[in-house]
Amino acid sequence: MSEPVNVRKEGNRPKIGPVDGDPVSTHPDLDKLSPYQRGLREALLREFKARKVKKFVEKQVKYINGNRQVAEEIKILFDEHGQPPANAPMEDIIAERRHLEHQIKWFEAMLLELQTRLLRVREIEALALDVLEHSPEA
Amino acid sequence: MAAPLFLLAPPRSYTSLMNAMLGQHPQAFGLPELCLFNVEILGQLWIRSSDEMGSDAKTRHGLLRAVAEIYGGEQTMHSVRMAEHWCAARQNHSVASVYQELVAKIDPLVAVEKSPAYTVDVKRMRAMYKAFPDARFLHLTRHPVGQCKSVMSLYDGTFALFVNSIEFQADRAVVEPQYAWHDFNINILNFLDSVPPEQQMRVRGEDMMSDPPEYLGRICRWLGLRQDADAIEQMMHPERSPFACFGPLDALFGNDPNFLSGPTFRPHKVKVPALDKPVPWREDGAGLKPEVVALAREFGY
Repeated sequence: MSEPVNVRKEGNRPKIGPVDGDPVSTHPDLDKLSPYQRGLREALLREFKARKVKKFVEKQVKYINGNRQVAEEIKILFDEHGQPPANAPMEDIIAERRHLEHQIKWFEAMLLELQTRLLRVREIEALALDVLEHSPEA
Repeated sequence: MAAPLFLLAPPRSYTSLMNAMLGQHPQAFGLPELCLFNVEILGQLWIRSSDEMGSDAKTRHGLLRAVAEIYGGEQTMHSVRMAEHWCAARQNHSVASVYQELVAKIDPLVAVEKSPAYTVDVKRMRAMYKAFPDARFLHLTRHPVGQCKSVMSLYDGTFALFVNSIEFQADRAVVEPQYAWHDFNINILNFLDSVPPEQQMRVRGEDMMSDPPEYLGRICRWLGLRQDADAIEQMMHPERSPFACFGPLDALFGNDPNFLSGPTFRPHKVKVPALDKPVPWREDGAGLKPEVVALAREFGY
């Protein structure tokens, strides 16, 4: 492979961005910026990072809320000692029982589906290992 | 060895789609974003490059996936581990020699690659040209408003911030992606001035989106590749690329995450916005800079 043979020169059209240098490094050329502008840039970076963290936390809170919601839903079945409350309305208990039965059905269906998938994957894995064992290169 | 084709464009300029489409040509091999020319020695890709922003591990995903696919024939956690060893064995090699090794391995297929980070700095493009004096360069453009909107919609404009595309106002600084649009395109133009005309071509992404067979045909003619109906049809399916999906857990990316989650191409007419209206990412009603408008006009917008 040879070096480029042509003698064409690179152009020198001017850029307009306020910061030059190698930006994808720790050393963007900030010399052209005044100390005040550097401060503003720092603030912008900090604001951006804060926003990023905030979004991450919001996402995590959603998961935590999900768990809390489940806890809230089954709370009715228990008092502070972990015993069913003596004066819980019958309707609430029936509604809660139905709700839980419904969720259990869902979980059972999911479990069945995952078990079926696991079986299939195990079969494929065993078959692949078998092929490898009997291959001439093994 | 078949000379590679490099797509040059700022990020969010249809490069992922275009790269995958061209890479599906029967005589080509579309690579993920290798980002090799971001550095000079391969091992430098493993060195943290910025203390200011987040992790840059993603820049290695494309290379790891490419090595896993080319040498292992698959992209799994095991083949990615193999790719890491492959890279470790070459950690002191120049990125030019590593790239040449990959290109030789897929020869006679034409390597097609785009890493928008190359356009950040002319010296990266210069290094590409030095490594591959016969390479072809396809300058892909996108309307500044469309491109900037797209940049700002991805992770709150993190890319623009990362490359210091910032405007300073009296009491605050705001992310202003049009600086990057302008300066990266200027970098490309300045670099392409040093490349013979027959080795470069410019295509507007919007034209490509509305009439892909026509523009893919033109590009193939320029590259000296087949332009028959079968070749065009294959290029209409970027989703068939082995890199058009998320990779294994230890090398998930290697491309724009939006493309990875939805790589199928649907031809559509792109609405070209006006150049003289306020831009949607600014709250103060500001518009495009005169330099940006002038460059956009030069590109035919």
